[in-house]
Order: sequence, then C-alpha cells, then structure tokens
Amino acid sequence: MKPDLSVAIGALALRGPVVAASGTFGYGTEVPLLERRALGGMVSKGIFLRPREGTAPPRIAETPSGMLNAIGLQGPGVEALIRDYAPRWAEWDFPVLVNINGESAAEYGELAARLDGVPGVAGFEINISCPNVEQGGLYFGNDPRAAAAVTEAVRKRTKLPVWVKLTPMVSDIGVIARAVEAAGADALCAINTFVGMSIDLNSYKPRLSFRTGGLSGPAIRPLAVHLAHQAARAVRIPVIGIGGIARAEDALEFLVAGCTAVQVGTATFVNPKAIAEVHDGIGAFLEARGFASVADLPRYLPCD
Amino acid sequence: MFLFDAPVTGKRQVARGMFVIGMQAPEIAAEVRAGQFVNLGWAGGPLLRRPFSVYRAEGEHIEVVLKAVGGGTAQLLAMEVGDRISCLGPLGRGFDLSDAQRGVVLISGGLGVAPMPLAARDARAAGMLVTWVHGARTAAELCAETDGDQVVWATDDGSQGLQGTAVAAAPSGDFVLACGPNRMLAAVAERWPNAQVAVETYMGCGTGVCLGCAVPLARGGYDRACKEGPVYRAADVDWSVLPSHLPYAVSA
Repeated sequence: MKPDLSVAIGALALRGPVVAASGTFGYGTEVPLLERRALGGMVSKGIFLRPREGTAPPRIAETPSGMLNAIGLQGPGVEALIRDYAPRWAEWDFPVLVNINGESAAEYGELAARLDGVPGVAGFEINISCPNVEQGGLYFGNDPRAAAAVTEAVRKRTKLPVWVKLTPMVSDIGVIARAVEAAGADALCAINTFVGMSIDLNSYKPRLSFRTGGLSGPAIRPLAVHLAHQAARAVRIPVIGIGGIARAEDALEFLVAGCTAVQVGTATFVNPKAIAEVHDGIGAFLEARGFASVADLPRYLPCD
Repeated sequence: MFLFDAPVTGKRQVARGMFVIGMQAPEIAAEVRAGQFVNLGWAGGPLLRRPFSVYRAEGEHIEVVLKAVGGGTAQLLAMEVGDRISCLGPLGRGFDLSDAQRGVVLISGGLGVAPMPLAARDARAAGMLVTWVHGARTAAELCAETDGDQVVWATDDGSQGLQGTAVAAAPSGDFVLACGPNRMLAAVAERWPNAQVAVETYMGCGTGVCLGCAVPLARGGYDRACKEGPVYRAADVDWSVLPSHLPYAVSA
C-alpha cells in the first residue's frame, strides 16, 4: 500500500511533508519545470508593506557546499503581491503562506491585517530571522521578548495559521521557541540562514556588497538538524525543519529529529526538480520500511 | 526550458587557456537564440550551476566556451567524451535582431566571444553584413574562430591587429552587439548607448527566483540578468554599480 504522505501543521493539512522555502521559490509563478503534485505547500518570497530595492551586487557567493546570499528582501510590496500573485495562488491546490517582514512589531501586524482574508493567502510565516536587512530581521529573532511581541502583533490580526521562522544566531533556540509558542504561534520553522562572510583576496574586501550574507545549503545541514531538534524538544507546536535539504534522506533526518514537515530551499536552485525528488523519496523510504504514514516514522525526541 | 544530462561530444582549444566543449542537447540546440545561456551542473562539481552563453548550436549539438579560472571550470575541462553534464536551458533573453539593419558590428573582449558565433549566424540569416571586432590582451589569447564578413583584431600589446581595446578599434556602426568584461561594456555604453550588451554577473538559480544576479538599472532599482537579461540596452545599465570584474572562481 502506498504510504500516506499528508501531515498536519496545527489546523493546516498539507498533502505532503515538503514545503518550498521562502526566497527560493519566488512567488511560485516562475519556477521552471515545477511539479506541483509534490508540493505540500509554499512560502512566498519575503514581503514588506512597501516595495524594496534590495542590496547592491554582488549578492551571492558560493562557499564550500553552500552559498552566501544578501538579497535584502527585494520585493514589490504587499499591494503588488495582492494584485499580481494572490489571485493565482487562490487557484492552486496547495496552501501558500506569505513570508512577512517589518521594521517594527506594528508593521508585521499591519501586514497580517492587510493580507488576512485575501483569497489565495493561506497563512503567514513571520520572518524574524533575515540577516540581510538593516532594521528588523534577526534583531527580532534573537531577543525572546521582541520575538514574542512580533508574534503577538500578528496573532491579534489574523486567525490564519502563523508560522515563525527562527534564526540560528542565538545561544539557546529553545528560549525563543517557547517565547513565540506562548505568544500564539501555530508552528515554528527552524532554521533561517547563518550569518557568514567571505573575503575576496583580489580586492581584500568581502565578496558580498552587504559585507555579510546568509549561509544556506548542505554546509549547514547538521547544524540545522541539531537546532530543529532542540526547538522540537522545547515546544508542543509542530516544527518545520529547514537547512541544506537536497535529498529525501536529508529530509528524513529532520523528521526523525522531531520535525513534522520540512522546507526545501537552496537545493531548488541547483535542481529544479529537488522538491519532487525529496517528496517521492520520502514515500519510497516509508514504503520500503513498512511505515503507513509520515506520522509513523520513529522520532528521536528524548525527554529532558 | 529543458533539463537533462547531456553527453560531452568533444573539446577543442580556441586560444591560450580557452576551450570549447560540445554537448549533445537537441532540444536546446533547436531553440536557443544568440545571447541566451545554459546553466551547467556536474557530479562532484560546485554546489551551484554555472552559467555559460551558448557559443554554437548546430543539429543536435550545442557548444560553450570557457577558461579554467577555478576548480569548477577545471573539472569541466577534464571531462571526456561521453561524460554527462546536467544542462538547464536555454535561459535568459538574447540579442534582439528583429530590427535588421544593413550591417551589424559585433564587439567581443576575451571570453566575450561566447555569444558571438550565434549572433553572427542569426545576423547573416537576417541579411546583415557582419563586422566582428575581437580584442584580447595578446595575440595568443585571441579566439581563433572569430568569423565575419570583416574581422578586426585588437590587442593590448599590439601583437596582432590594432593596439588598444576592441571598443577603440571598432568602426562606427548603428547596430552594435557587445560582450566582454563589464568595464568594456561600460565603454561601449559611452560610445553607443543603444548597443545591445550581454553582461556578466554571479548567478544563483539562473531561472529568476533567487534574485542573486541583480543588475543595477540607470532608472533605479535592479532586475535579473537571468530573466530580463543577460542582454541589455547599454545605456539602461548603471555601470558604476555593476561589479566590474567577476573571476568565476569558487573558494571550495
């Protein structure tokens, strides 16, 4: 019998455990060779209330088994998103969550209020972990009170699912995880990119114009599995694992480590079919091991 | 857009340190236009794919031209006939030859020869006379396969053709297509604001989703070399912000 790949993230049912990660999938309209059947869901490119230009080039640099990026949340602003993309999402057979950003807790709340009820918007991923903006971003994500305040500001303005994307740049991710859970988050996404830097030995300057960037890709996977596991041990709400997933085995590590679902990001740049391959590979693994569903996978979550 | 593993069909040297690699990629060969590129990945290679302008396309085959500037390109050059390269393309917006003139001037600097054989082919098919100006640091680095109704050489050291840059050596013309280091393209923009130029940038995905290949525009803001580009009207790019030289090397 084919295993059941569906998972539940709180009240939100996903038909598969693999979600497209924010910033690696645009608005879902431009990904080439997309196999929609394999998508459990999608998180849009991060959006602010107003349009943003993003950072000057160079914006990306490859590093061993990874990449640094400093895009700076370039985007058209929420009104353009509502006008140009949400109507298309409303026709798709998987949920699209909007990755929301702001320079203050109030701005996050305003964005949620503006998007709440817009057909095509199935929920929110609060980005309190972007390393590439001057204001906000991970400055909210590494302070439990600020993280909770942002979560609460969004929670008050919507009944849609609210996920919170955590930064790894903290000394104890459990503290932040518990703070946003208490503030009303429905799920956690662990983790966003690590802050990194790479130097060009010709110019004697950083290779990115923003100086630093967010490190993603297989290089961060074991760090991410550990942090997702720590977050999962700290809370009762579901954790969605992110970080360097390129193959089904990578995703299964996060699931066994305590995650309910996963997001695939950078791998899509390399292999436009990565999400479908991860989805199908999880199904094949469950079938080969005799598990009826994703929920039946053994979880390594010892009690403290 | 297609994605498949293309077998290597051959390799040849066209200048000192410059090589052409051929691949069997029928779908791409049939569709590709001058100035478009393919994004290549290979087993054991760097994490991200590497973008290459399509150099030639004939029958079932496409070719790309490269220099060994880092570990990744060295791996590509070490490939044998029959080895497979994951090929995604054709990508980007190529040269627009729809407004055919009597003649076209192609200007290429160094590895900027990459899109020009296709540009020459398509310009001839559109009934244009092709003048091709090709520059390099020295005679040995000039691509041997430059081809046109008229060919002008330029070398920094004067060892072949005119001494100086390809831009300085180019005759006047109304219809100019150029490719080369971004500094050279900035000089093209000064002399021919309406020239079509193919820019070089770092790229993440090559397909428009990552926004990593930002090209600063003269009117403000950025767009994507992989989607709106890599070919631009020269005067539309803010050359002061576009990084001037990107050695395609990987620190891995």
